[in-house]
Amino acid sequence: MASETNELPASTGDFAPWRAAVPASIVDVGYRIRDVLTYSSAYLVFIAMIEVLTVHIVLSLPLNPAPVVVGLVTFAVYAGDRIADADDDAISSPERSAFVTRHRTLLSVLTAITYGLAIALSLTGGPFALAITLLPGGFWILYASDWLPTFGSYFKRLKRVLVVNSTIVASAWAIAVVGLPIAFAEASVTPLATVVFVYFLVDTFVNTEIPNVRDVKADEAVGVSTLPVVFGIRRTRRILYGLDLALIAFVVAALSSGILTTAVAAAILVGLGYALVLAWFVGRNTAPGRLAIAGEAKHLVVFALLLVFTTGV
Amino acid sequence: MISPTSIAVPLLFGSVALGASAAILAWRARPNPGAVSLVWLLIGQSWWSTCIVFSLSAETAAEATFWTKVGWIGVMTVPVAWILFALEYTGRDEHITRRNVALLSVVPTLTVLLALTEEYHGLLYVRTVGVTAHGSVLVEQGGVWYSVAAVYTYLLGVLGIAPILGLLSSGATAFRGQSAALIVGVVTPWATNVLYNLGVLPEVGIDPTPIAFAISGVAYLGAIDRFRMFGANPAPAWRAKQFLFDHIHDGAVVVDGHDTIVDVNRAGAAILDVDVDRVLGRSASELLPLSEPFRAEDGAEILTVGTESTSRSYDVNVSELTDRHGETLGYVFTLHDVTQYLQQQQRLKVLNRVLRHNIRTEVNVIQGYAERTTGDTAETIKQRTMRIVEISEKGRDAIDLFEDAVNDREGTSLADLLERSLEAARDAFPEVDFELESPAEDAAVSEGLSVVVDNLIENAAIHNEGEDRRVTVTAEIDDDRARIRVADNGPGIDDYELDVLNSGTETPLRHASGLGLWLVKWGTEVIDGSVSFEPNEPSGTVVTTTVPLR
Repeated sequence: MASETNELPASTGDFAPWRAAVPASIVDVGYRIRDVLTYSSAYLVFIAMIEVLTVHIVLSLPLNPAPVVVGLVTFAVYAGDRIADADDDAISSPERSAFVTRHRTLLSVLTAITYGLAIALSLTGGPFALAITLLPGGFWILYASDWLPTFGSYFKRLKRVLVVNSTIVASAWAIAVVGLPIAFAEASVTPLATVVFVYFLVDTFVNTEIPNVRDVKADEAVGVSTLPVVFGIRRTRRILYGLDLALIAFVVAALSSGILTTAVAAAILVGLGYALVLAWFVGRNTAPGRLAIAGEAKHLVVFALLLVFTTGV
Repeated sequence: MISPTSIAVPLLFGSVALGASAAILAWRARPNPGAVSLVWLLIGQSWWSTCIVFSLSAETAAEATFWTKVGWIGVMTVPVAWILFALEYTGRDEHITRRNVALLSVVPTLTVLLALTEEYHGLLYVRTVGVTAHGSVLVEQGGVWYSVAAVYTYLLGVLGIAPILGLLSSGATAFRGQSAALIVGVVTPWATNVLYNLGVLPEVGIDPTPIAFAISGVAYLGAIDRFRMFGANPAPAWRAKQFLFDHIHDGAVVVDGHDTIVDVNRAGAAILDVDVDRVLGRSASELLPLSEPFRAEDGAEILTVGTESTSRSYDVNVSELTDRHGETLGYVFTLHDVTQYLQQQQRLKVLNRVLRHNIRTEVNVIQGYAERTTGDTAETIKQRTMRIVEISEKGRDAIDLFEDAVNDREGTSLADLLERSLEAARDAFPEVDFELESPAEDAAVSEGLSVVVDNLIENAAIHNEGEDRRVTVTAEIDDDRARIRVADNGPGIDDYELDVLNSGTETPLRHASGLGLWLVKWGTEVIDGSVSFEPNEPSGTVVTTTVPLR
């Protein structure tokens, strides 16, 4: 979660031989569904819900509405962001911009209703659940608008500051992903919850910086300082290696101190190994959009491994 | 934990979901008029519903009381936001000043403070009255200040509805839809609250007003999305009327049926040399010459203000204002500055006199002296002085055109007009063969056409120096217009002359050779006609004039 893709996840070029046997109408429907999922950020909803379910499993929390609330908020914030950026995206992502512009009204109403539903659902979790649900939207408002001139301009300045910008985004999502299931379950914040929070915080930070490699010129033009803008792509890759390795060390330390179980630590470590491989591709592949999606898909790997390790599914 | 009535709870959640959704849509619609106020209104009502949900799910009486008290922030945000929204949305935002917003917020602020400190005074009490079978704590509210807050809320509600009601009869479907949805959105919860406070509604364990916000949310969403509340906004219409009244160059004074000035625009105040704020409420007779002081000039009602040298004249028009029964409400006096027009009219009269009498008198004197001598010089003097007389006559014709004297309403016979013109031409140019093709039926045209036709025929004849000199005048009637074609076989009109004519202006270096073609152009313009020039075959020009029939 927390990263965005500006490219199609797969080529829209000529049909591959195996596709020749599939009726064109079915292929067309398939492309349309893929477009809707990628351009509207709907695929991020699924990944965000998987992250919350991961927290449920790791913290042994009973199933509650948190995954649904996070999914709704994810759609509202990311699709809303794409509506707001549709004009700016016309150059960097013309297909996505055209999709969003064509369905602007529908997306606008959908995002409003999904956030409204998320807020209403969060009431069942109490005041803390409500506050956490409002957090990503609140950050987004401060980031994307000048509604509160003083705070708004302050946050806009923060958005340009190196590390601070990605940390704010990562914090908002890590709090939502880890905090909401806890708030709904009325559970207390344990050392294990803190470890999980740090894992999601650092991981979301890394996933936020990966798309910045592609956006170097655009970020430079508007004065936003990101790792690739300040340190260049090669050093950014090394920093991402460093962060992933630091996270691995942190997980190993948590395992050795008994906070993490072996099963959970193993699943997370495999995921971090996957992240290290992805970090090698940063700045080296020709489709950075796919790289960002691959980064998000790591959570699916971790969740699947957790299911296997903890429940034997 | 949440219990009271099974339907109330989902409706409360629904009101929060719909209120939050509508708030997000309204927030995105900034800076449209009313968007920000509507966001606050929706936040207020959603917070109220939220606090009731938390109160119902509270496990202790203290917790339930706390959320009920905090809910007053939302309760009192709604009426203030509503009145601000109504003023902005309908274009009356000149009333939204920091001072007025602060004044509007006094009662709500006091109410919230009294709710939070209720245990110390009881002016607005919040107390638990029991626990339901499901474990929900029931809270009761009341006290003197509760009534004050309720009345204040209803008052702002009605005041906000008033300007929006006017849009229900708007010609635009969008505005009718928007206003209807807004009124449903605000009346439903307030009516619910009134009925609840009167004890008419069945007891559901909570104040049911936030439940009605579910209907409000649907109404507001409908107004925003279905009726494009922030896509088609009526705010400019109200402001435009005031703007036009304030900024038109003409003075405007509104007088009621009792001769009292009730409004005056800036231009009106400047013309009458009065202060806008001080003149309101004064008798109109003191300022405006309503009866005797009107100085009639040629039938027009002219008001002259100022001293001799700096005086200005105004054409006064009085329009009656009536109600829907036709009863007189008052009058609007408009004062149109005609000073420059009157001055030009005066100058034209002087020029007319000079051209009509003075030049001819001087020319007669010169010709008299010329007749005392003989020879070519005397003949040349006579010819040139006659030319001066002709030019002065054309100048006089031009003045007649500008004075609008020829644009008569009744009109004159086209056939007679053409006959007269040709007869004069035959006398003046005996060497030219004139031919007239009259229309099958006669029609009435403006007398001003004679100036046009005279000059066209003269122009066709005077420049024709060939052996066989012919000028053909053809007239046709086509529906409500007359078309007169004057064709000659002369050398044709120089392109340079036509370019100057088409440009509409002359300079010392770029000008036509005389007044004739200008008189044709001005004459057709004055009588709402048109003129076109085409080359004739094998030589000459065809000039076509089209003029309306009388």
